[in-house]
Amino acid sequence: MQLLDIRNLTIELRTSDTVIRAVDRVNLSLKEGEVHALVGESGSGKSLIAKAIVGVLNKRWHITADRMHWRGVDLMRLSNEQRRKIVGSDIAMIYQDPSRCLDPTAKIFEQIAETLPEITGSGFFLKRNRERKDRVKALIHKVGIKDHQKVLSSYPHELSEGVCQKVMIAMAIARTPKLLIADEPTTALESTTRAQVFRLLKSLNQLKNMSILMISHELEEIINWSHCMHVLYCGQMVEAGPTQRIFTQPRHPYTQALLKSLPDYEQGLAHKEPFYALKGTIPTLQHLPIGCRLGPRCPQAQKACVVTPPLTKQHGHSYACHFPLIKVMK
Amino acid sequence: MVLNYILRRLGLLLFMMFTLSVFTFSLSYLFPGDPLSNLSGISNTSFSQTSELQEKYHFNDNYLMQYFAFITRIVQGDWGVSFASGDSVFTHIIELFPATLELSIYALIISVVVGVPAGIFAAAYHRRWPDKLVNSTTLVGYSMPLFWLALLLIMVFSLQLGWFPMSGRMGLLYEIPYQTGFILIDIVLADFPYSGLAMLDALHHLTLPTIVLAMYPTTVLVRFTRDSMLHVLEQSYIKTARAKGLNRAQLIMHHALRNALLPVIKQIGLQFSTLITLAMITEVIFSWPGIGRWLIDSIYQRDYPAIQGGLLAVSMFVILATIIAELTYTLFDPLSRNQAHGKV
Repeated sequence: MQLLDIRNLTIELRTSDTVIRAVDRVNLSLKEGEVHALVGESGSGKSLIAKAIVGVLNKRWHITADRMHWRGVDLMRLSNEQRRKIVGSDIAMIYQDPSRCLDPTAKIFEQIAETLPEITGSGFFLKRNRERKDRVKALIHKVGIKDHQKVLSSYPHELSEGVCQKVMIAMAIARTPKLLIADEPTTALESTTRAQVFRLLKSLNQLKNMSILMISHELEEIINWSHCMHVLYCGQMVEAGPTQRIFTQPRHPYTQALLKSLPDYEQGLAHKEPFYALKGTIPTLQHLPIGCRLGPRCPQAQKACVVTPPLTKQHGHSYACHFPLIKVMK
Repeated sequence: MVLNYILRRLGLLLFMMFTLSVFTFSLSYLFPGDPLSNLSGISNTSFSQTSELQEKYHFNDNYLMQYFAFITRIVQGDWGVSFASGDSVFTHIIELFPATLELSIYALIISVVVGVPAGIFAAAYHRRWPDKLVNSTTLVGYSMPLFWLALLLIMVFSLQLGWFPMSGRMGLLYEIPYQTGFILIDIVLADFPYSGLAMLDALHHLTLPTIVLAMYPTTVLVRFTRDSMLHVLEQSYIKTARAKGLNRAQLIMHHALRNALLPVIKQIGLQFSTLITLAMITEVIFSWPGIGRWLIDSIYQRDYPAIQGGLLAVSMFVILATIIAELTYTLFDPLSRNQAHGKV
């Protein structure tokens, strides 16, 4: 069953004289238990998409979509209150700067405790209180924090980023959501904690059948355990499909460039050998090119590229390019 | 940790007090006239009196000894006598300060009770009509000169409608014995058969000055609370809390309010110095027998010992109030409790 089904999601920023289209008609669909990766350079609109799904974007942003279905319910048509209820119970999100996402004046225990679903059933105040404490303790153990007493009675600024991220994950899984959106969860972390967090997310997916929408630019980490991959460039979805297919047969020049830029340590790199990279930089949002936004930087670009390419779909692998790299890869 | 912080604050307090005392001490030499009579308040002395005073004020020793003698007298409560009345300056201050304090405290209470909720309300309805209404009202209150507002209120409510008395602290009918100097407390303590009526009369007298005095701090607090609230609502932890599925009331009560009100506590402390200054003008207009009116009268009469004493008392009080506000802020804010050393 489709868990999340988004068609033509567009996110615009309306200024007094122009309309800046930060995300341009993006499609995304996700089945239960799948791990999807949303890949792209910074500024390509990955976080915007995630925030639009959860519904925490500022009012400045204007969101339109042909449909944004969550298990058959169109989120765009719900009132704020209904949407908050569905999103709060089924979707959870973790962010790239965990320490700033925790309330600086509340202790960790309170913050996790308020995420817990209401404890139903009879019992006195004290009994419910004890149950709440036990649940918080169990959660914090689950995410791999052993010293629960110290962490729970701390304020966020007293903890390291890694511990804060684990606390964020504990809060995210408190309501056992169907979908976890991880917005670059490991950028602020050091490598050992990063590995722990990835392992944790992986086990959550495998043991609890939790779907994960992973936003990241660490391709190596994602390759191994994501089922599908969506590549974004400047707010346009350039290529999407099963991860293995995209890795072996990229159809879009941008995806190819992205994969080529990964250093291949097996073949042995020469000393100070330059990495492969596309020429130029990402255009700023005010000066987006028309048509295919990769156009000015694309090695394959031709005259036709000033028209936005339609999405071509082949066996679940879709790409938006006038001149896909089919022959090249053969 | 907290103790350490309090000790550091007390160190700051001592240093400020020292600077203040040096300034006050040097005033008697900087004022025109004889330093000895400026310090003591006794002028036109005979030779024997002069030598007695010189002995008492250590005038034949160096400045350092004179300063220490000054500090000793300040601590003992011997602040010299006023040129105008011939009474001890210290007694004047003790009698008059509670009246000013009473007025300022009520004004501050009103500004907190009105200002903070209004600011939260405006932030909750950001860019909709309640926000605009609150914003434009505060802009008017903020930019209106205090004395003009006072005169307007007197014209409308005292002269035209006759609802409130124009000046003074108490009707002539009632005689309240001086106990604490706070009129409302004194009335309760005095235990008259007609204390209910006296209380009503005192409240009547209090209304207009309190409203006038509260106007400025209220508008400042409204705008400050609103800005602080809007700032906090933009923070990522609020977004996280919203994504967690908390509803609007929970969000505001548990996360937004606590974080937004912390800087407001600091602001309330800072408002105290402005409040005392404004209280002086208010006292003059409403003939309120407080320290501000007395100080301004002393300035007119070139009553140097009184000016000196009044300045010392008022500034000491403002410094104390600021530091107390800061300590309260620290008690509530976990972040500022363990800040780096050397940060003031």
